[in-house]
Amino acid sequence: MTPDRWQKISRIFKSAILLDNEARAAYVESQCGRDESLRVEVEKLIESHGKADADSFMNGVAAEAVAPLLTDSEARPEILNKGQRFGSYIILDSLGSGGMGEVYLARDTRLDRTVALKVLSPDISEDKRRMQRFRQEAKVASSLNQPNILTVFEFGEADGLTFIATEFIDGETLREHLHGKRLGLGEIVDISLQVLAALDAAHEARIVHRDIKPENVMLRRRDHVVKVLDFGLAKITEHKSPSAEHDSDPEAITQFRTAPGIIMGTINYMSPEQAQAHKIDERTDIWSTGVIMYEMITGKIPFSGSTTSHTIVQILEKYPVPLTKLVEAPAELERIVMKALAKKPNDRFQTAKDMLGDLRSLQKRVELDAELKQTLPLITRTQDDLWRQKKRVLVFALLGMLLVTAAIFAVNIWRSSRVSNIPPVTPAQRTLTYWITVQKFKNNNPYQDPFTLAGEINFEADYRIRVNVRSPQPGYLYILNEGPASGTPEYNVVFPTSTANNGASLVPASETILIPKTSWLRFDTQQGIEKLWLVFSEDVLAELEPVKQFASIETGGLITDPALNKSIKDLLDKHSSNKPEVEKGESLTTLKAGGKLLIYAVKLEHH
Amino acid sequence: MARTPPQHEITQLLAQWREGNQSALDDLYPLVYDELHRLARRYMSRERKGHTLQTTALINEAYVRLVDQKNVQWANRSHFFAISAQIMRRILIDHARRHQYAKRGGGARQVSLEEAATVVPDQSEELLRLDEALKSLAEMDPRRSQVVELRYFGGLNNEEIAGVLHISENTVTRDWNMARAWLYQQLTGSGAN
Repeated sequence: MTPDRWQKISRIFKSAILLDNEARAAYVESQCGRDESLRVEVEKLIESHGKADADSFMNGVAAEAVAPLLTDSEARPEILNKGQRFGSYIILDSLGSGGMGEVYLARDTRLDRTVALKVLSPDISEDKRRMQRFRQEAKVASSLNQPNILTVFEFGEADGLTFIATEFIDGETLREHLHGKRLGLGEIVDISLQVLAALDAAHEARIVHRDIKPENVMLRRRDHVVKVLDFGLAKITEHKSPSAEHDSDPEAITQFRTAPGIIMGTINYMSPEQAQAHKIDERTDIWSTGVIMYEMITGKIPFSGSTTSHTIVQILEKYPVPLTKLVEAPAELERIVMKALAKKPNDRFQTAKDMLGDLRSLQKRVELDAELKQTLPLITRTQDDLWRQKKRVLVFALLGMLLVTAAIFAVNIWRSSRVSNIPPVTPAQRTLTYWITVQKFKNNNPYQDPFTLAGEINFEADYRIRVNVRSPQPGYLYILNEGPASGTPEYNVVFPTSTANNGASLVPASETILIPKTSWLRFDTQQGIEKLWLVFSEDVLAELEPVKQFASIETGGLITDPALNKSIKDLLDKHSSNKPEVEKGESLTTLKAGGKLLIYAVKLEHH
Repeated sequence: MARTPPQHEITQLLAQWREGNQSALDDLYPLVYDELHRLARRYMSRERKGHTLQTTALINEAYVRLVDQKNVQWANRSHFFAISAQIMRRILIDHARRHQYAKRGGGARQVSLEEAATVVPDQSEELLRLDEALKSLAEMDPRRSQVVELRYFGGLNNEEIAGVLHISENTVTRDWNMARAWLYQQLTGSGAN
């Protein structure tokens, strides 16, 4: 239809629909004259107008009309089916799913080659600027052409989803390879050397992997060549914090964008500086390689707690059990792993090349040593073995290793005993570490795994939370919730309650207190900022002791005594100028206040 | 939450665009898209819990978050709504398209009898056809297609649309009637074109 014709029709139409049926027919006829087809078109349009009304066609807005389809099937748009076309790829099979999205075996129809296609979940790819940085890094890493770095073919978008196409490796991940079996020394060293070779090349190009773990190390079936996956990918899931490395966007706000599963899977391999969201560099990868090596050698993950937060505490504080206490392993191997696992980056190997060098020397020595050349699994140490081990240690002493190793152990053991026995108390200072566990709920049932965070995110209405606190010092702890309502606040007592810490306000040193212990805190329907006042005192606080009596599930701990609310407010106001120093890590926040009393409001925004 | 682009940046871009600088729109578009997309997804996840998707509320929220309220001129608001309507259209169409892909699955997948019997009119397909029809309309009559976009995708009322397009409310009503009748005809196949 030409615009002219259209205008003619619309001119007649707009007047015609204002008329009643009889007048309308006459009007249309008079306007169209002998142009029969014009009359037909106008009449059809008028008819459609009536039907559209009757059908409620386009009543409301598009978003409402399509809402049903935005619900179920759109919940995981990144799930593709076998045989489905996706951009210029055809999905052949699902290879599994990771925290960042789904991985498929796919055929590139343009080049007729098989690729691994990782489709990033929309949550991950949403942040365009971060995606851009990730692309750059991954491209650079791939372009290094190092045989142990997985080649990236393409980044792209199709159907509104971001994907990465990489070479497909027929093999298994180190995680799968380790499953239920122990590797021989030769294989452990061989795998480690290849991982380090990949890291060395990447580090030379100033690229830090940030997420070295057994899931990101592939072993090719046919020749056991190791491929390190996902260079740069960790960049898009990293959390931001004020102390994190500076980037181009200083206005970036702390955000928890990692899906719960990811942080759970990755945390064990995180370096101390990573766990605290401090500035990281190449040496974080050295640490993670050390963790992998420890795991391959002993079959145990060196830092592993019952929750993410416990694991983080271990990473920061615990010195792992020496390898030689668990298995028969060369002392030099032990030295290398422990050096990689030094808490301070300055105490580690400074480059992957250095570590590679030491490991290669060991490999040569092992190959020379007929006894060690056998790639039998490392034997778990038993009492009987101990004296034999002593003899072996002597052998290594001849190699000049014993003194070094012993010295390192001595230092480590001394350090670890110091950490566990003597709390680092500074006079007249209060220290309290807190973190928050979040559990999503759906239809009153837990939904997905809980995740932890150091502080403030926007909480949705169906998030329930738990507050975890821990201090190297004993003290009297009170936690009060102040809702977003204006006026004189009515506080809710959150701690002490009968469930957490058996109702006592005095909490012991170096013990993690879960509040509540077994259930969750939930927000009421009023939106806004909820303040969670943490009060931690060396002495008992007479003003706050009475709050216990209001701890009740029925009332949500609401303090109904106006006089008590007033005295709480006065106490909080009185100390409002003494703000504690806040060290915000990735998953923990540590508060330090001078004096005997620490008061801090955690602000939780919820919708 | 999401890294929010500096408010003053968006406010400036809006002002530049209003003054006729089209390249400002190119810069503005991705910023607003990201924000609306994020909000839409959040609203959509709420939808699962039985709330309705309020386009206007959504765009309003984006507006409040993105635009510096202290230094804003009122006219900016209508411009913001105009671009937001366009973006909402794209977001919804992207979703509908993805839904179609997902549904088609293995290409010529066999549908069992029971399944076939329960197939309901598919909103995503209808939305995609509407989008196509709207494109044809835009070729003949850009203004009417814009009225549809602002009202149906942007959730604006007639008064707001009149403000954005600098036409009277009566004209908005007439444009809407005509455009809707024509679209209905296209979608139901009762049109002879």
